[in-house]
Amino acid sequence: MTVPAETVTATGTLFDGRSARPNPVTLRLGERLEITGAGLREDWNPFDIRAGETEPPTMRIGLAGNPVRVEFTDRALAEALVARCPDLRLDDEARGGVLRLVLWSIAAGVSVLLVAIYGVPVAAGILAPLVPQPVESRFGLAVDGQVVSLLGDPPLCAEPAAKAVLDRLVARMTKGAGLPGDPVVSVRRHKVANALTLPGARVIVLSDILAKAETPDEFGGILAHEFGHVAARDPTRAVITAGGVSFLLSLVLGDLTGSTVIVGVGQAAISAGYSRDAERAADAYGVAMLIRAGGDGAALASILERIDAEADAEGSLTGFLHSHPYTKERAAKIRSLAGGTRPDKPLLSKEDWQTLRGICPAEPRTPAKPATTPL
Amino acid sequence: MDSVSAVPARPGAIVFDRQAKGLTSIAVKGFLLSLVTFGIYRFWYITNLRRYFWSRTIVAGSPGEYTGRGKELFLGFLVALAILVPVYIVLFALGFAYPPLAPFAGPITFVFLFLLGQYAIFRGRRYRASRTLWRGIRLGQDGSALTYVGLATGWWFLTLVTLGIAFPWMRASLERYRIGHTLVGESRMTSTARGSMILKPWLLFYLVALGPLFVSILALLVANDFSFPADLMIADPDKPGKFVFNPIYAGTPLATYGGAVAIVASIFIPLALFLIPYYRARETRAFMNAAALGAARLNSTLKARQFYWPYIVYMLSILGYLAAIGIVIGGSAFLLQTSGLGSGAQVLLVIGMTVAYLGSLLLFAVLYVRVITVRLWRAVADSTTIENVEALDAVLASSRRTASGLNEGLADALDVGGALEIGF
Repeated sequence: MTVPAETVTATGTLFDGRSARPNPVTLRLGERLEITGAGLREDWNPFDIRAGETEPPTMRIGLAGNPVRVEFTDRALAEALVARCPDLRLDDEARGGVLRLVLWSIAAGVSVLLVAIYGVPVAAGILAPLVPQPVESRFGLAVDGQVVSLLGDPPLCAEPAAKAVLDRLVARMTKGAGLPGDPVVSVRRHKVANALTLPGARVIVLSDILAKAETPDEFGGILAHEFGHVAARDPTRAVITAGGVSFLLSLVLGDLTGSTVIVGVGQAAISAGYSRDAERAADAYGVAMLIRAGGDGAALASILERIDAEADAEGSLTGFLHSHPYTKERAAKIRSLAGGTRPDKPLLSKEDWQTLRGICPAEPRTPAKPATTPL
Repeated sequence: MDSVSAVPARPGAIVFDRQAKGLTSIAVKGFLLSLVTFGIYRFWYITNLRRYFWSRTIVAGSPGEYTGRGKELFLGFLVALAILVPVYIVLFALGFAYPPLAPFAGPITFVFLFLLGQYAIFRGRRYRASRTLWRGIRLGQDGSALTYVGLATGWWFLTLVTLGIAFPWMRASLERYRIGHTLVGESRMTSTARGSMILKPWLLFYLVALGPLFVSILALLVANDFSFPADLMIADPDKPGKFVFNPIYAGTPLATYGGAVAIVASIFIPLALFLIPYYRARETRAFMNAAALGAARLNSTLKARQFYWPYIVYMLSILGYLAAIGIVIGGSAFLLQTSGLGSGAQVLLVIGMTVAYLGSLLLFAVLYVRVITVRLWRAVADSTTIENVEALDAVLASSRRTASGLNEGLADALDVGGALEIGF
């Protein structure tokens, strides 16, 4: 080690850590740092000297673990201190570097993501059946209102004769199916061919499905598919999953501007992957239910393909249908589940089917509030 | 350089670093690392920023010192999460479990988070104070966060009941409580803040925001003899469940004055937003002037324009940037469409957009720190001097325990005052 040849001298101010009184001192840096003032004498080892963060040329030095601080603005002394005090910028309390922090944080973030992708859906599957029936129905009613207003408040279709046919069909199909609660099926006039299942065993059928269905079995297939969602409690599960995932991602990962994008993309990806499995399960359930009710299991495949083909032809994004992926694959699976046998007669008599298709009155009725009041 | 930095000429001056050298690298590093660490680095980023700002603020010749640690904030955040997560779940489940409560779940959550937020504001301040040193003397804060919550709740209630008239007195009362429980070593700070000190700027803001609205609503009421026809709104013939304005009332005073109310509201309420920096500057100046430590008093000459300039510069830079990037994106999209390069170019475009998006966020974050935070901080610091600065020499250190990072964790988890705040 080179012994410093010359002594650097400067004036500064000492604060003793007990009072805020400034004490003018002279600093003399030779082999050690001597600080002298009126009634003051400090002798510091250069190895123990630490400097705080300040704006040059102001410099604040002290000893590790000691409240005494000396401030000065002399450049020569500052340079000499940097040269002679090896631990001047050492952070005594810091443990580990930024790299370690970054790596651990990434590991923690990935772990949270994995919980969101794999853990939350599983937890939702366990929790969904535990939601009490009245709670779920009440929630379903609220969601019904929201969904209906999202769809643009389509009028409710309820021609009494047709509604009676529908109710009989629903009762026949769900008899002995062990669904959690009696399903509430409503038809609404809408130009998109789709059906939705909401929490609380609520099924909304949009009227275009009836127009696109060529046989009662096809319509029954759609209903049975939706009852599959009811049986699996998919809507409640989806709500719990969405809530859990957004809670995890937004609260735990923080609100840094970039992470909102991650949260959005993550949620969409998770719900898409999740709903694919749910759709396949509902298909299988639907086929079984349709066959049990005396219908043609493969009819579900026919109507799915027709809706998909027409949507392609129109080139339109058919609203909710984009979460019904891989129509071809699904149709093939449905046909294999349905087997080769076909029942001799359709699910509904010709007259009943004609009545049911007229469930939406030709002209929209007076704009009275629909029976199920949107919240 | 020596002439601008170094020790100030006046003994009681407060000055802030002229150049803010090294701040950009702190902000860039902080932003990028926060991005890759899923936001966890933000506690270390805030700590770095605070250390920078504290140490560049020279009070009566001696720079401040921030001894807080990112780790403390992070641990505090984790503890706050452990408390908040069950609370959130209970609040969420409340609506489900107890039907009559369902309509109130939203308001209950809001009130609860408001109370918790006030608590967090006070405790976060305690953490920052206990990590602040000046001339080797540690600052501190005593007083009870629960009392503060009670005070804030009562005053907010009064403010709502009086339609905002009580607002300046609320601000002054809370300021007195905060400053009155702030300690420098053994010495307690005092504040003589009064609501009347900020009544004028508040009334200006209030009158611009609500005055014309009140007048127009009054005119509407008078013109209609304080009564409205029952069939003012009728069911929408196109959309069931929706209501529309009944056309038979078109052209009547009802429609004319109702339209006037809507126009007045849409002009003056946004206009009042532009008065917020003015109000904040006036309030800061009044409260600074009211603060004292023994015989030493603060004296602020803060001008409102010093609070406007940073925002103007920031908005103009962002607008300029957005215009530039809009031209670039529009141009490349046009090129892509005309040349029809296919999917390879589209992938390139998506990558380019992602990079541009992240780059813009980085730029905005750095600009915010460099333009708004620095300039506001400097405006407050440089316009403030200490009178009777010799009285500060008598301040003695205290043996108080320092507050833990848990105090501020809650504030971060709730997003109140977790970020860098001007002054105390």
